[in-house]
Amino acid sequence: MITPSRFFLFSTLLLVFLALTSLSFGAVSLSFLDVINGFFEDSEHYFTIHEYRLPRTLLAIVVGAMMALSGALVQGVIRNPLASPDVLGVSHGAGLAAVLYMTFLPDASTNWLPEVALVGGLLAAIVLWLLCGTSSSAIKLAITGVAMAALYGSAIDFVLLVKPLEVNNALLWLTGSLWGRGWPQLTSLLPWLLLIPLGLGLAKHLNLIDLGDDSAVCLGTKPNIIRLISLATAVGLTASCVAICGPIGFLGLIAPHLTRRLIGGRHQVLLPATLFVGALLLVIADLVARTINPPIELPAGLMTAIIGAPYFLWLLFSLR
Amino acid sequence: MQYLKQSYTAQCTLLCSLLLVLAWVSLFAWSAVPVTPTDALMALINMDDDKISHHIVWDIRVPRLLTGILVGASLATAGAIMQALTQNPLASPSVLGVKAGAALGMATVSTITPWLGLFSTSAAAMVGGGVAWLLVMLLGSAWKGGGEHGRLVLAGVAISALCAALTKAMVILAEDQASAVMAWLAGSLAGASWDVFYTLLPVTIISLFFAVLISPILNLFQLGEDNAQNLGVSLLWTKLGSSVLVLLLVGGSLAAVGSMGFIGLLIPHIARMLSGYDHRKFMPIAMLLGACLIIASDIISRSIIFPIETPAGALLALFGAPFFIYLVRKRTL
Amino acid sequence: MLRSLKLLGLSLLIVALPALASAVDVEDEKGTFSIEYTPKRIVVLEFSFADALAAVGISPVGIADDKEKARVLPAVREVIGDWESVGMRSQPSLEVIASLKPDLIIADIGRHEAVYEDLKKIAPTLILRSRRETYEDNLKASAIIGKVVGKHEAMQARLTQHREFMQSYKEKLPKGGSFQFGVARHDLLSLHPEAAYAGGVIKALGLENAKTGAKDGASRRVSLEQLLAVNPDYLIIGEYSKPNVLNDWEKEPLWNVLKAVKNNRIFNVDPNTWSRCRGIMAAEQMAKDLVKILTP
Repeated sequence: MITPSRFFLFSTLLLVFLALTSLSFGAVSLSFLDVINGFFEDSEHYFTIHEYRLPRTLLAIVVGAMMALSGALVQGVIRNPLASPDVLGVSHGAGLAAVLYMTFLPDASTNWLPEVALVGGLLAAIVLWLLCGTSSSAIKLAITGVAMAALYGSAIDFVLLVKPLEVNNALLWLTGSLWGRGWPQLTSLLPWLLLIPLGLGLAKHLNLIDLGDDSAVCLGTKPNIIRLISLATAVGLTASCVAICGPIGFLGLIAPHLTRRLIGGRHQVLLPATLFVGALLLVIADLVARTINPPIELPAGLMTAIIGAPYFLWLLFSLR
Repeated sequence: MQYLKQSYTAQCTLLCSLLLVLAWVSLFAWSAVPVTPTDALMALINMDDDKISHHIVWDIRVPRLLTGILVGASLATAGAIMQALTQNPLASPSVLGVKAGAALGMATVSTITPWLGLFSTSAAAMVGGGVAWLLVMLLGSAWKGGGEHGRLVLAGVAISALCAALTKAMVILAEDQASAVMAWLAGSLAGASWDVFYTLLPVTIISLFFAVLISPILNLFQLGEDNAQNLGVSLLWTKLGSSVLVLLLVGGSLAAVGSMGFIGLLIPHIARMLSGYDHRKFMPIAMLLGACLIIASDIISRSIIFPIETPAGALLALFGAPFFIYLVRKRTL
Repeated sequence: MLRSLKLLGLSLLIVALPALASAVDVEDEKGTFSIEYTPKRIVVLEFSFADALAAVGISPVGIADDKEKARVLPAVREVIGDWESVGMRSQPSLEVIASLKPDLIIADIGRHEAVYEDLKKIAPTLILRSRRETYEDNLKASAIIGKVVGKHEAMQARLTQHREFMQSYKEKLPKGGSFQFGVARHDLLSLHPEAAYAGGVIKALGLENAKTGAKDGASRRVSLEQLLAVNPDYLIIGEYSKPNVLNDWEKEPLWNVLKAVKNNRIFNVDPNTWSRCRGIMAAEQMAKDLVKILTP
């Protein structure tokens, strides 16, 4: 455990350092001077820096932070550190919508993919809400979400098998990647950033819910309303990110988890801190994905999974 | 109907005859090369070497059918053991990560070293499934809160997601093998042959036999772990032994035909509705039901977009998932 | 003042004239593509485009070759010499493309539509259909590429030569029998139907494709039983892995019922040429393969 002030100082520095690293490394490595020059239109590296790496790095920071916050909210509501935005079925719903779009309208423009995926993700959340209503216990909601996700998942597999033409494109999308995402995607994500302060504002109430519903009610909180708002925020955050980058799965699970181990479980600190951890993780994942075997680009979602696997193992050993 | 609920013999007879009918239908229905119902029988009784339809029945359909029966019985039994062992109605190979782990094991072996033979892929499936299950059990028991059942399922989901992400990665990295791994993940009996059947047979028969053998102990588990221990059951050895059984059953069938989703979740529940909670009675029923379900879905999968085969596993998953949702909503967790 | 303006106008006209002369307008998948110079540094993001450039003797500076140079057809490699790999065809590295400072990019609408806007920022981008194209589609795309790179006449001549080549090989090939090309992997065989590229080449050579019942060009996984239902006279196999599913099937008694097996008409070809490359030279190589196979 480290103190919050140290944590924020350290992680801000680290984030700045990693962002700069991410700007200067890639399939083509550039010097620090080239990076600075790259911000100006007359530089020969203008495209690489300003049009390509900068928006991509910013996108990694934003998406990482949003996914992590979404995960922290879900874990706070379900009160289980193994929960993740995945248990809401949002990413699978978005995935199913995207796959249906890609396979049944192969000639339609892929530019509409984010909108289609967004609608799919939100629809999945509405279905879950219709199934569970407000009265279900959190854990039942989570498991219903898991079951829905399983349903969407099998539907995705089914479609990919029946219409095998676009398997690779669809798989690439389904693994989550920052390849080819730039300023337009970053701009379209901006309005969703409003959800971040909303999520952070829920911290106090989530702490009260942690004490148990009865105590929470005594202390003047309405647990069901808080749960609904938190989950709706998480859905919004996840759906908007998934729509842009595809489901970058593990981030929402690992980032809050890691944060909790670093600075503890109080939501007032946990929620803002997890923004940093999420951003750091995705910037690292994308940097590694771009530089490990250039010019081949690996999906960032794959890198988060590879980071996630040893983290889980380490957790197991530390819990013994 | 009432009689059927009470008489165990009647249930078994009915299921056996259902299986026989399904088996017969599966021998001739929706065949790319026409096979008549009589051909199907004649090929078994009096094989005519010159007839293509007889060859199709004997060389393709019969091993496919027998493999299907073994796989259905294995998965249903594995699900039943897992549910008894964890005392969790949602436990099954697909929910608790065994399937995803095995898939990862197989995908790793078949994309990185595709030249290794059948034995090593099934071994990889077992190792992968075993590791995944171990992780799920450890993670699930490590965190309190959120109810006994939910905890394990969440751990299973987390591990499954991890394995699935890594499997997808393998597929993307080895683009040429992509469609092969995808097809394998979907699970289809189309690849079954006599070779596959004979490889699967000994392991499965022995495991199924042991599964029936340990069913009295599983009965005791339903009283709770503490009570079972007081009645003289060795928790460690039972858990270890039945875990090995589950891995042999699941790993073997995965290696043979790929992943067949939700049989392990679905069948034990139906079997329990029919024959009650006594594992000695309900294991055989589950095996028969599992075999029937897989044969039925194989027949349907061939008919959907005839003459193209839709993998039976994908079909099962599609129908199994709503049942999973139903189970979750019915149970108070 | 007026005088100097006139002079300026005149001189601009003189400078612009040769440029105007070489301005080209073509239709690509995104509408009209125009280019006012003859591109010198070209990056291609699919093998079939490299083939088209090689056909008129132009070397691209970069190819999305999945970082495996051997995937480019040997005949094409011979013409174009060395190049820089720009990554996977599915996700080419835009940084590397930019670092090559191309003056033309040729992209595939199926794979690269999502980065079309980015590619245009790097260089004028000609976007055509390559993935899922048929044989005739490919020839049309090659003609467009020829125009854009300022080799219209050369490309037309090459295409005529290609058609003559295919015609002469068509005459060399024996008639009769149905053909089926399939790709064998570890545990599955997928057949390429008539609407796929290989099927189109087989047809162009005056041979008959086996009836698979497929309407579109998607390759399709088949079991031994379904292969038996297709039952082609000639089975052309590209092996992506060895041993593969066919080695298992060979042990089955049913295998020997296949017409192609009975008459010993199963042939192995390079899967790279037959299923991945596509293009003028690839088609000619396929024709050569077929003649080699069928006229011993």
